[in-house]
Order: sequence, then C-alpha cells, then structure tokens
Amino acid sequence: MIWVVVILAAGTMLVLALLTAFVLGWANEAFHVEVDPRIEQVNEVLPGANCGGCGYVGCNEYAVALVGGQVPPDKCTVGGVSCAAAVAQILGVELVQTWAYRPVVHCGATAAQRLGTSEYLGEPTCAAANIISGVQGCTYGCTGLGDCERSCTFDAIHIIDSLAVVDYDKCTGCGACARACPRNIISMVPFKSERMVAITCSNKDFGKDVKAVCKVGCIGCALCQRTSELFAVSDNISRIDYDKYDPQQMGDLLVAIDKCPMKRIVFVGKPSAEDLAAVAQEETPKIIEADFKTTVDETEWHG
Amino acid sequence: MEYLSEIILIAIGAALINNFVLHYFVGICPFIGVSRRVDMAFGMGCAVIFVISVAAFLSWTFTYFILRPGAPVTTWVWGAINPSSEAIVDLSILNYIVYIFVIASSVQLVEMYVRKFFGGLYKSFGVYLPLITTNCAILFACLMIMKHICGVPAGQMWGLGEAMTLAVFAGIGFTIAIVIMAGIREELDHCDVPGPLKGAGITLIVSGILALAFMGFTGVDRSLAELFK
Repeated sequence: MIWVVVILAAGTMLVLALLTAFVLGWANEAFHVEVDPRIEQVNEVLPGANCGGCGYVGCNEYAVALVGGQVPPDKCTVGGVSCAAAVAQILGVELVQTWAYRPVVHCGATAAQRLGTSEYLGEPTCAAANIISGVQGCTYGCTGLGDCERSCTFDAIHIIDSLAVVDYDKCTGCGACARACPRNIISMVPFKSERMVAITCSNKDFGKDVKAVCKVGCIGCALCQRTSELFAVSDNISRIDYDKYDPQQMGDLLVAIDKCPMKRIVFVGKPSAEDLAAVAQEETPKIIEADFKTTVDETEWHG
Repeated sequence: MEYLSEIILIAIGAALINNFVLHYFVGICPFIGVSRRVDMAFGMGCAVIFVISVAAFLSWTFTYFILRPGAPVTTWVWGAINPSSEAIVDLSILNYIVYIFVIASSVQLVEMYVRKFFGGLYKSFGVYLPLITTNCAILFACLMIMKHICGVPAGQMWGLGEAMTLAVFAGIGFTIAIVIMAGIREELDHCDVPGPLKGAGITLIVSGILALAFMGFTGVDRSLAELFK
C-alpha cells in the first residue's frame, strides 16, 4: 500500500511540475513586455537620491516617464543642469534653458513680531499645531515647530527665532520642505540669479486683520503693483511673477522694495558683495548650542 | 435555505468573528508593513481578496479531485494502472506542497498577464502581488478549506461555493482590519508616542487593542444560527 501512495504522489508532483513549467514558460513568451534599454541608461545618469523632488516616487519612476517622453528632462533638482544635459543627450531631445528651483519661505515674522501667540504645549510638530486654533494669531504664517527642518535630508533649513530659514549653500532644491509644510508657505522658486526677490508673507486677510496678528505682514496695499509690473496683488497678498523677472533689469523693482511700507519684499539667497562689506565690521554672535529638551521633559503626560 | 444560511454564517464568520488578522493572527506582516496610509492599505486589501480567491479556487479543485482520500482522479488513475486493487488511495500528504506550488505559480501567471494587458492596474497593485504570494493568510485559507474536505464524511464536505465564500470574505475581513489600522496609524502620527515604542511597537499594541474590540463579535454566529432555524 505504501508504494501506491509513493508512486502516485511522485507522479502527481511530476505531472504538476511539468504542467506548470510548460504554462509559465509559454506565458513568459506570450506576455513578454519590452523594456526600453534607454530606461537603464537614464537611470544611471540620474543621481539616485530618490528624493521625490521631480514629483515622481523615485528616480526609476522618473526615468520611465522621461523615456515615455511625457516630461522635460530638467525636473531633477539634485542633478541640476549637468544631469539634465546628460539625460537630454540620451533621449536625443533639445534642452531649453533651465533654472535651479530653490525653496522660499513666505513668512518673515520672528517670534517677537507675531501677535496673539499663546503658550503651546501640544505635540511639537507643525502638523499638530496647524489643527489647533489659537497657537498664534496668524493662521497663515510659520509656526516655527520645524516640520521642514526634520524633513530636510541635507540639513539646509533651520528654525531660527521661530522662523524657518533656508541655508542656500546646502540646499539642493529637492522640495521636501515645501511638501512637509502643513501651511504651504514654502514654495519652489526658479533662481535666475543667486539672489532672488521674494515676498515673505502669506497672509490673505485684509490689512487691518493682518496688523492685528503680525507686526510685519503684507497688508495688500498694492504699492508694489503700481510701481513695478512684476507684482500682482490678489487675495490681499502681493505675488511676484517670476516669468517676467530679469536679474539684469531691476530698476523699478528696487524702487518697489524701497516703497513697501511693511518691508516684505526682500532678497533671499546668497548675499551681495555690498551686503557682506556692510556687515564685515560687525561682531557675529556666538553659535548657541541646541538644548535637547522635548515637551515630554517639561509637561505632564497627556496621552 | 439550509445551504444559504450556512453560506451566510461562513461569510460573517470569516469576515468578522474569526477575522484572519485579529483572531488567528495570520498575515501580520502586510498588516504592519502596508498600513501606513489608508489608500495603500485599501490597495493591499483588494490584492489580497483577489489572490486569496484564486488560491482558494485552485486548492479546492486540487484537494477535491486529486488529493483527498478516494478522490475521483486519483482513483481512476490507480484503477487504470492496477485494476485488481481495492485500496482507497490517500494523497493528502501532498496538501501543503501542492498549495504552495499552485499559489506561487498561479500568481506569477496572473502577474504576467496583468502586466501585459493592464499596465495601469499593474502599476497600482502589481507590486503587492509577489508580496502576498508568500503570505501565511493565503495558505491559512487553503488549510481551512482542506480541513473541511479531508477526513470529513462525504455529505458534510465543502463544495466550491463554501470554499469561495470563505476565501472572499476572509479577504474582505483582512481589508476591513488593515483599513481600520491605517486610519488609526494616520492619526497616530500626530501623537506623542514614547520613544522606544515608535514604529512597529505601538502598531502591535494598537492591533492588540483592535483584536480585543473584534472579540465583541464572538457568539454572533451562534445567535444567527438559532435565528435561521
């Protein structure tokens, strides 16, 4: 009896194995999907950081989209111009001039300039603070709890005096901070020169309401709009049209910067030679050591 | 009527009362791994429903016709080889290996097919398919079906209907559990979790509490069975 089972079991497995091998082998032929060899080439040129700055999940997804011809080759912010050129060469497409995109924080109020703030003992993340009203008067501005700082893999954005400040020397423009900010006050701006003009306010309320919550917020007075055609005021907030921006012709732009009553039009990026010369004599403050206190150390358990 | 009530009882039992994840604790690894976002969890759940149905269909077919004691195909083959033998051939020792074999190869086949003809679908849930192939929840469903075929008197043996009901609703139960879990974990991101418990630790604790909540379904099947009488 035992031999019956052994022979039948072996026979069953053998037939099953042969059948499956045949079917899978046939399916492998019949359902074969051609993979473009250029995808592999493009993949090698891309930096492989998988940061998601291009808007795709990883470098491989972007390579597939590139070979599919759906996207321009200049989306990779980490690789920059050289990477875009290499990709363009592989794909045989013309490369139009590209700009490096860098984040700009559209809030310029430090802790002392914000009004209506209250002591916040909740979770020390922007995402949590954004849910609760009354953390600070301005519901558009930076909460200074550092979601952007934690999202940055290049150590290029820091909370200084409750305000996110970008370190443009380290920044690669991957856009992780812009995605992390729950209030969407960080936007990616094409840096046509090393210094860029930016409006550091996001408050869309009327001037009177802005003044109630912030000492330095944009009141939407539209003086800049009347001075330079770069600016457009909508929703009580001034915006810069970066398509029209030309670093060579900044005549009326400088006038607008001067005229702005709240001084919300500022230069970001690398400081100019004059600026460096102006502060050369001044004493720089010492670097303060960070203290690693968390809210858990100070507050009662509130799970 | 009796058949229908049995089907309903199997369905409710598989989806809620004896939920695969929260009662038997099988399929924990995708439950912990892919429950970070609700949409991803739902995709995973749908893929599990699909794979578990395919696996249940194949394993029922193989068990019923080839592997169970006195299965028709085996008996016929043995009879052809040795007409004088009166022995009842039992190949149920092959159950496990055949299930693993059949599930793995069929999912491979389906993956190739989907990749060729439904590119979009492959992108959204093709990545989960090889992951689920090696999942204990799938094998567990097959073994549940085996338990109701091998060593059971002919009258009480499960047909294809019962087997498929069990599989589909076990998959739905998995989806329910993983989507609830993903919803909780999304909220958990905003919470101050003590350092050592961050990540998998708190997830296991939460799933334990969730399992306690699902214990509340115990006994529903008995009351339902009384109702159907």
